[in-house]
Amino acid sequence: MSSPNQTDSLHPLEIQVLQALGTASTEALKEPELVQATALAASQVSMAVGWLLTKQLVHLVSEITTTYVALTDVGIQFQQAESPLEWILHMLQASSQDGQSTTVKDLQATGRFQPTELSRAFGLLKKEGVLSLGAGGSLHATGQKSAMAETLRQLLNEIHEGSRPLHSFSADQQVLLRQYAVKRGNTQEPFRIDDHTERAFALTPEGRNLLPNLREDAGQEISQLTPELLKDGSWRNHSFRKYSIHLRPPRLAVGRRHAYRDFLDTVKTKLTSMGFQEMRGELVETEFWDMDALFMPQFHPARAIHDVYFVKEPKHAKRIPEPFLSQVAETHKNGGGTGSKGWQYAYDPERAKRLVLRSQGTAVSARTLATNPPIPSKFFSIARCFRYDNVDATHATDFFQVEGIVLGSDINFRTLLGLLKLFATEMAQAKEIRFLPAYFPFTEPSVEMHVRHPKLGWMELGGAGLFRSEVTVPLGVTVPVIAWGLGLDRMAMVALGIQDIRDLFTSDLEAVRNMRRQL
Amino acid sequence: MPTISIFQQDFAQLLGQPASIPDIEQWLPWVKGELKDVNSDTGEVRVELQDTNRPDLWCVEGIARQIRAVLTGSLTPHSFFSTRGRAKRRIQVIPGMEHVRPYVAACTSVGYPMTVEGLAQCIQTQEKLAEAFGRQRETVSIGLYRLSSIAFPVTYGLVKPDEVRFTPLGFEEKMTPQEILTVHPKGLEYGNIVAGYERLPLLWDTDGQVLSFPPIINSRELGEVQIGDTDLLVEVTGTDLSMVILALNIFASNLADRGATIEPIDIVYPYETAMGKTVKTPLDMGNTQRVLFHAIEQALGMALGAEAIQTALTSYGYQVKATRQSVDVKLPAFRNDLMHVMDVAEDVAITRGYDSFSPIMPQTFTVGALSQQEQTSDQLRDLLVGFGFQEMFSNILASRHELVERMRLAGTEYESLVEVDNVMSQTYACLRPSILPCLLRVEALSPRVFYPHLLFEVGEVARVDKEANVGSRTVLALSAISAHPGANFSEMHSYLDLLMYYMVWPYDLEPVSHPSFLDGRVGRICCQGQVIGYIGEFHPEVLESWQIDMPTSGFEIEVTTRNT
Repeated sequence: MSSPNQTDSLHPLEIQVLQALGTASTEALKEPELVQATALAASQVSMAVGWLLTKQLVHLVSEITTTYVALTDVGIQFQQAESPLEWILHMLQASSQDGQSTTVKDLQATGRFQPTELSRAFGLLKKEGVLSLGAGGSLHATGQKSAMAETLRQLLNEIHEGSRPLHSFSADQQVLLRQYAVKRGNTQEPFRIDDHTERAFALTPEGRNLLPNLREDAGQEISQLTPELLKDGSWRNHSFRKYSIHLRPPRLAVGRRHAYRDFLDTVKTKLTSMGFQEMRGELVETEFWDMDALFMPQFHPARAIHDVYFVKEPKHAKRIPEPFLSQVAETHKNGGGTGSKGWQYAYDPERAKRLVLRSQGTAVSARTLATNPPIPSKFFSIARCFRYDNVDATHATDFFQVEGIVLGSDINFRTLLGLLKLFATEMAQAKEIRFLPAYFPFTEPSVEMHVRHPKLGWMELGGAGLFRSEVTVPLGVTVPVIAWGLGLDRMAMVALGIQDIRDLFTSDLEAVRNMRRQL
Repeated sequence: MPTISIFQQDFAQLLGQPASIPDIEQWLPWVKGELKDVNSDTGEVRVELQDTNRPDLWCVEGIARQIRAVLTGSLTPHSFFSTRGRAKRRIQVIPGMEHVRPYVAACTSVGYPMTVEGLAQCIQTQEKLAEAFGRQRETVSIGLYRLSSIAFPVTYGLVKPDEVRFTPLGFEEKMTPQEILTVHPKGLEYGNIVAGYERLPLLWDTDGQVLSFPPIINSRELGEVQIGDTDLLVEVTGTDLSMVILALNIFASNLADRGATIEPIDIVYPYETAMGKTVKTPLDMGNTQRVLFHAIEQALGMALGAEAIQTALTSYGYQVKATRQSVDVKLPAFRNDLMHVMDVAEDVAITRGYDSFSPIMPQTFTVGALSQQEQTSDQLRDLLVGFGFQEMFSNILASRHELVERMRLAGTEYESLVEVDNVMSQTYACLRPSILPCLLRVEALSPRVFYPHLLFEVGEVARVDKEANVGSRTVLALSAISAHPGANFSEMHSYLDLLMYYMVWPYDLEPVSHPSFLDGRVGRICCQGQVIGYIGEFHPEVLESWQIDMPTSGFEIEVTTRNT
């Protein structure tokens, strides 16, 4: 840490602390002693000591935590006037001399002390046998002296001289002090008990070595070059304080992309570079495009109320475009012209109009198929989707699906595997891949791709397949179509150092500012 | 996707060969299964089955049967599907059933003494078939009975809700069907299926003993199968004939695989069904389908040749008869999932193993591009980041409280939202019509985070629009807020002005009143005669309702409309 010109970079405050320690009669100085020796503010001393500790020019010699008792503003009042105990006894004495009886109510009515404060005092005095309760709630002094009131008075007076360590009091006194000390919920107490840590510091050998070289003109240096100094050239007459460049710099609030969105930006850039065109859809979708067009029968278990969010109002779309509605309906009923036997059930065109929150990105692909897309073509979407799920660390209620389609007369099972292999290298830098049979209602054959990510190990990267003819033909597409989807959230979470899927969309600004990609 | 429990020993026995866990893992792709969990103490293996069209695979017997076929190269069909003549036993269906629960299928199973594991598997299969395949018993439900106590013929008919009494499973006393619907847990769970009918379905034997009240509950006397029972009656009722028969076919095949002898039963209907008036069940409903070799080869992208295709399909359990150009294929009776030639092609690929197909890189050239919306969105994001704003990314679902009440919009023209009908949590019950509440939520949660807070988000929102086909429009919006002790209208106005300048979107501000903002410090942003958003200082009541102690101002503009 120590360098030849280290003295140059010392802050004036640091120099003053070093000098104080170097000239002291004892080796170590406590913080208050340092404050006295340097004539600096306590906060300045503690700041300078902090820097010097980092630079290892001073070291911590001792650290002693002591519990101190001090008077609060209430305590000072008690000390100067009377404590509630003393006051009650006085009041009773005065009234009995007048031959009158005094009740609790009378005392409360004076408003001198809080009712709770008074009841506590009554309790204590009654327990001591100093006062008794007579008929009609009248209070009487028994004539006995209150040891408690006397102890309290003694404590008030002693502590008024200056705060004292708690341990310097007797055990009985400590109990009383704690009883009358400020606690959470009651700040109207005479005593305050606080922990004070007293630290003592001394020079390290390096710090001592610097002493002869310390500048005397520490206060005369310039810390900041100003336009004025430049304009009149007076900077030439000054020296500039050197910075301690090892210290942590102040924090900045800056403009930045969201790290998860930035991850998705990389994905979309990759996909466009591979020749994919972006497609977009609507958040509110009809069951027709979300499911029917994807050959999911209307009785499919995943279409139930417990899987999809339905829209409250309106419940149905005005219309489903033709000829798609009729063609899809026929396909569900008996296969239509697709070479399939269909699902063999009574298709309900009203159900097709039911509105849902888009439950799968494939709905966007279905809509694209119906737009008479050019052949060959490739599309992708990064679509917000919604599922009826209890939100927890692994389930989100709205999330992104990255998926798309590839249309072409050369498409078949092996080109499907080829595309997936390309994704594995491009998206996950994976060289090892496994293809496993899978099931999706809208593809056949269907495949699941597992890849070995260089950092994450084996993971499922996505699912894909060839769209069933029952999907493509009713929408007017006669060439084979690859449908693919990538599950990138896990990769994103590892890249961002996130364990909980909810943190991808967190509203905690600190977390968002700290989030960064590490992969 | 059902997940089931199988036991390693039981599985090996059904498979006819030892099966280690690595073996099972290696074979599971043939049934689209995934190993979820292994308990090495009990030998219990949890398997998730992906294919919702293959209910025959949702049981250990079916999984073992499919894997055995691939390992041995073929599947021997069960003989009970091809018995001749009338069956020994009969179930008579009574007129009127066609309006309530029209179909029944049944068979007997003799000679397999029920074991603890066998019974557990039977119950699991019964549940998976009735719940997932039979849509919570609505289309298919299954009953098992002790055959020895039943006197045939059995009648499948209707009774008045209080006409008969029998002891249901799980209870000690006799009850009427009506009582079962009101107090029995199964009656409460499934009663909606028979709700509204004057007379309820019942199965009873020739001595008048009740077998069950389908699809609710079995009778305890006849329908409580015990360990060691060798003679069983299996019955399936439901509303879809081919599903009812398929479920029985699966159940019968499972018991046969465990060593039972299956004897069919004649179901005699008073009405016509798709399979005739007398239907002997189990019944092989499969049709032979002709598939061109060429179609399979084209789909798979590989000239496999007729022999390889035949071998693969035979190994997967198909019955196969080849001609020169094509192959006539028939599925085993426990499957009914062949809809299209592609289904056959996939089975060929699965049998051969996906890894045996070498990937071909796509060759065709296509132009990649981002949508206009995404390009605009990226442009805006770049600018805002350059202005020093932190980008946020929020959930689109939020609560009405956040979107309306906290924004001081209740009872105003701005309060309509796209709301979810089947709400799971009020926190996620509405689509956001604006991003500003999402940014204020951040502000509310981050009071101790280093200031200033300059935040923005570009994203989708949903706005109610009665004219639109779906009653709302998905709109791309940009929102930005500034929160710090000196945040005010002028500061945000400067940012907006700069943004509109760089975007080349000439705009004007019109003074308006908006409940979320302070009067006199809010403006409507107009661009070429169109209102595209608002800018202003948030009303202190808005900030209070979010418990934000920091002055905050912001703006939001609709981006979608700018694309046209």
